[in-house]
Amino acid sequence: MPENGNVERRTILRVAGASAAGLGLTATAGCGGDSDAGDGSVTLRYAWWGGEPRTLAIKKTIALFEKKYPKIRIKPEFTDYAAFWEKFQTQASGGNPPDVFQNAVGFLRKYDKRGVLMDLKTQADAGNLSLENFRNGVLANGQVDGKQLGVPVGANTMALVIDVKAFAKAGVEAKFGWTWDEYFAALQTIQDKLRIAGDTGYFTIMYLYDLYLRQHGKAFFTDTGLGFTEDDLTQWWADGYKRVKSGLVADPKKIEQVSPKSGLSAGLAASEFTWDNFSIRYEGEGESDYGLAPIPTTNGKDTGQYLGSLMLSAFSGTKHPKEAAQFIGFMVHDPEAGRIMGYDRGILATTEQYDAFKPTDPNNKGVAAYEDEVAKAGVLGKITPHPSGADVVEAAFLRIGGEIAQGRTKPADGAKALFGEAEAAFAG
Amino acid sequence: MTLVEESPVHAVRKRSAAPGAGRRGRRQENLAGYLFMSPWIAGFLLLTAGPMIASLYYAFTSYNLFTPPKWVGLDNFTTMFQDPRWQKSVEVTLKYVVVATPLKLLLALGVAMLLAQRRRGQALYRAAFYLPSLIGASVSVGFVWRALFSDDAVVDRTQKIFGIDAGGWIGNPDYVLYALVALSIWQFGAPMVIFLAGLKQVPRELYEAAEMDGAGPVRRFWNITLPMLSPVLFFNVLLESIHAFQVFGSAYVVSDTRCGPADATLVYTCYLYQKGFKESQMGFASAMAWTLVVAVALVTAVLFWSQKKWVHYEEAAK
Amino acid sequence: MSGTTSASASASAVARPANGRRRIGSVAWHVGALLVLAVVLYPVVWVLGASFKPSEDIVASLDLLPAKPVWTNFSGLADGISDISIGSFFGNSLMYAGLAVVGVVMSSSLTAYAFAKIRFAGRNLLFTLMIGTLLLPYHVLLIPQYVLFRHLGYIDTLVPLVAGKFLAVEAFFVFLMVQFMRGLPRELDEAAKLDGCGHLRTYWSIVLPLSRPAVITSAIFTFINAWNDFMGPLIYLNTPSKYTVSLGLMMFRDQEGISDYGSMIAMSLVALVPVVAFFMAFQRYLIDGMATSGLK
Repeated sequence: MPENGNVERRTILRVAGASAAGLGLTATAGCGGDSDAGDGSVTLRYAWWGGEPRTLAIKKTIALFEKKYPKIRIKPEFTDYAAFWEKFQTQASGGNPPDVFQNAVGFLRKYDKRGVLMDLKTQADAGNLSLENFRNGVLANGQVDGKQLGVPVGANTMALVIDVKAFAKAGVEAKFGWTWDEYFAALQTIQDKLRIAGDTGYFTIMYLYDLYLRQHGKAFFTDTGLGFTEDDLTQWWADGYKRVKSGLVADPKKIEQVSPKSGLSAGLAASEFTWDNFSIRYEGEGESDYGLAPIPTTNGKDTGQYLGSLMLSAFSGTKHPKEAAQFIGFMVHDPEAGRIMGYDRGILATTEQYDAFKPTDPNNKGVAAYEDEVAKAGVLGKITPHPSGADVVEAAFLRIGGEIAQGRTKPADGAKALFGEAEAAFAG
Repeated sequence: MTLVEESPVHAVRKRSAAPGAGRRGRRQENLAGYLFMSPWIAGFLLLTAGPMIASLYYAFTSYNLFTPPKWVGLDNFTTMFQDPRWQKSVEVTLKYVVVATPLKLLLALGVAMLLAQRRRGQALYRAAFYLPSLIGASVSVGFVWRALFSDDAVVDRTQKIFGIDAGGWIGNPDYVLYALVALSIWQFGAPMVIFLAGLKQVPRELYEAAEMDGAGPVRRFWNITLPMLSPVLFFNVLLESIHAFQVFGSAYVVSDTRCGPADATLVYTCYLYQKGFKESQMGFASAMAWTLVVAVALVTAVLFWSQKKWVHYEEAAK
Repeated sequence: MSGTTSASASASAVARPANGRRRIGSVAWHVGALLVLAVVLYPVVWVLGASFKPSEDIVASLDLLPAKPVWTNFSGLADGISDISIGSFFGNSLMYAGLAVVGVVMSSSLTAYAFAKIRFAGRNLLFTLMIGTLLLPYHVLLIPQYVLFRHLGYIDTLVPLVAGKFLAVEAFFVFLMVQFMRGLPRELDEAAKLDGCGHLRTYWSIVLPLSRPAVITSAIFTFINAWNDFMGPLIYLNTPSKYTVSLGLMMFRDQEGISDYGSMIAMSLVALVPVVAFFMAFQRYLIDGMATSGLK
């Protein structure tokens, strides 16, 4: 079945150029169905990235949905993360993205600016999708300039993953409200006693620097640019490099070598900062026991944390906006779908789904307990804004941080380079 | 430049007038030529020329793939020439081309000469030597290469015997490019097969005659094999250089998609790819592409020009 | 054209000495070849060894062979990945590679014949243009080509992947065949012409059979390239049941969870089988088929 140019390219360009929502609706009017069978049913393309467990779970939820909405068929498309975005950009620029797709905060403004994302609020207003019952205010993660560009499926937050055995052996403990000084002192003890590095390279992680800045009343991004100065960043990287040289942070050459394995699971260091829902990989890769520990603070209380989200978005030019909205609504609200998905994409975002699923495996239990604890500590703030180009800046931050760790770039030069690249990214 | 007149093996031979010469014959020849060429012409117009012209236009625009391209004149080129990462990618690529191409061809020629001898199990050897090239730049090659060139792995241990301790090539910006070079050399199957075919074309009477004149193996190589093989050598040098300038896959898998560390394996097309597909700067990427085209065209032109001096076509050698 | 005539030049150097010397030469040859081979095949053995290691031991593993071999990487393949059977990936790849071979052989040999054997107006210009297409990096053509194929309605089919092969877009193969066809003795096609053969006959019954080594080389390279192609299938194929092996391999990867590198390696090894088989089946025609020397 050739997927012929059903929506004319001109239409797409027009849609892309104008405000997405209204035209997204008009685009359906009078369009014959390309992928639609004669029986009045419609077909939606749904794309996501992720591993096999996610894919198998999603396929089950799709079957559930199709049973409940017999007039809507879902065509799944899936790959791994890197391939997903390459493919998505090509498809979207060719006017042919999937109708519904998994999305992340960092891409919202980028693809909104390019007119790809549908404002789902209009669909909610039309009664095709409920935006109620989201937990801890995560619904805001999908909002940009008053538009609802994505609907969160889960929530996650940054965490410190530690090698539990190493921490115990060195006799150090991670506790809520500990400060950076206490954290680095603990790493020093580990280095002295166990002869391994304390951390795998914290200063190259953009989302950790964001938390650090938030602890100081700033943030990595503003709505339109960077929320810190070159001097701030120079200091952050200079401190980091100092700790590489002293051996507190693992040798970047060794870390590079074991990739795609993490330096933590390879036993090169005793801790690593990452998103809590990624923590399952360490058990799979490494031989030690791993646990989630609190983010160090500046004032003894505030971690600067917030809940991030994976979400579902719809294409502004889809011919079936109503069905796309119904599908998204089902995926985030249906209790049975929540039970099937579990915490694969973060702690379930709506109360219906959250209540329907109680984790039984230790990893999911750990993540749930961690987020509970963070929420109870009252440290969760509003999410840092992500301007268009945030994904490019994150990659540049990691790359330049790596050059600094290797001693190839001076922190001040690196900071200058990052500001230059960020400017281009925001403009693009 | 009249490539056709220069490169054919029989160019030196004076052509006899084609039968049926005359205007009608010529018109028929033209018709036949274009009929035979028609698939290529269609493909060229549709799939190559159109996109090429589009990308030439993009090179002078600011284009993010979504909003219409905006004319910026030479901006992309001036930004590019001042961009330290672009300069780095040029440096990395040149180093790669200059080191990898000759070494790969040398190994390919050496093994081809070994395999040109008629021995028991020849076919099996040939297939075994070709095996690495069958694997391509796949993910498993990425794994094995990162493992072989890691600290304390086989390469590092061998190196230590000679008193050099690099601590592994993969994580070290000074060495990692050579891991890439090694990968390129390892996949020497294509030029090897082409050399082999070329070796088969060398008339054996020439060797017999030379042997009767008392020429040793070294002299036979310099006086017969190399000259007779030079058209094939030329072909291989040309193709392998062009491929080396455009290397992408191996850098991508060896560096685990990052072309690092510290941009040490940032080959030209990897940067082009990052700019175009990760940073959506298609204008800049197109400017990069056309700069590469011009550079490689220059190299090609020099090679074609130089072949007059060192490529011996059949007639001359006889 | 007999076997002896096509014996290699260097072999003739050792053809005459006494039996004993020949045997020493033979032993030395095998020892030398095996030594080079050992170095060349070391990484292949590593991959083979890795396919029997538990998944978590594969990345950054220094050992050539597994400490305790496991079969799970291979046996796991029988279950497929994400509800898709491994056979589906292989079937799709075979279809793609097979069509690619047919396309390249047909279109490139016709084009090459025109360049090498027909004197027509504008030939030099077209030849220069063709060489020029070798120089353009593939990535910049990607987006305009995607837009084109979307307009034509061929997304999620094999058409965008093989169209270029049937239209001789890959200049490398045309160039390779041109170089070979020019090497063929001119007397042959001139004789054919005097016999009244048209270009089509000359091409089909004389030039094409004699160009067999170049044709087969092109076929082998095309098969390998198509088999290993990642970018093309990634961009153009949407439906997972249409995915090729190269895309299937990536499905074992999970940046947010546990990647199954064991199955990935195992599948990449299984994926080698068709390529190796294709190569083994045709490689003897590569060089032995070189009939030109015998015809002289």
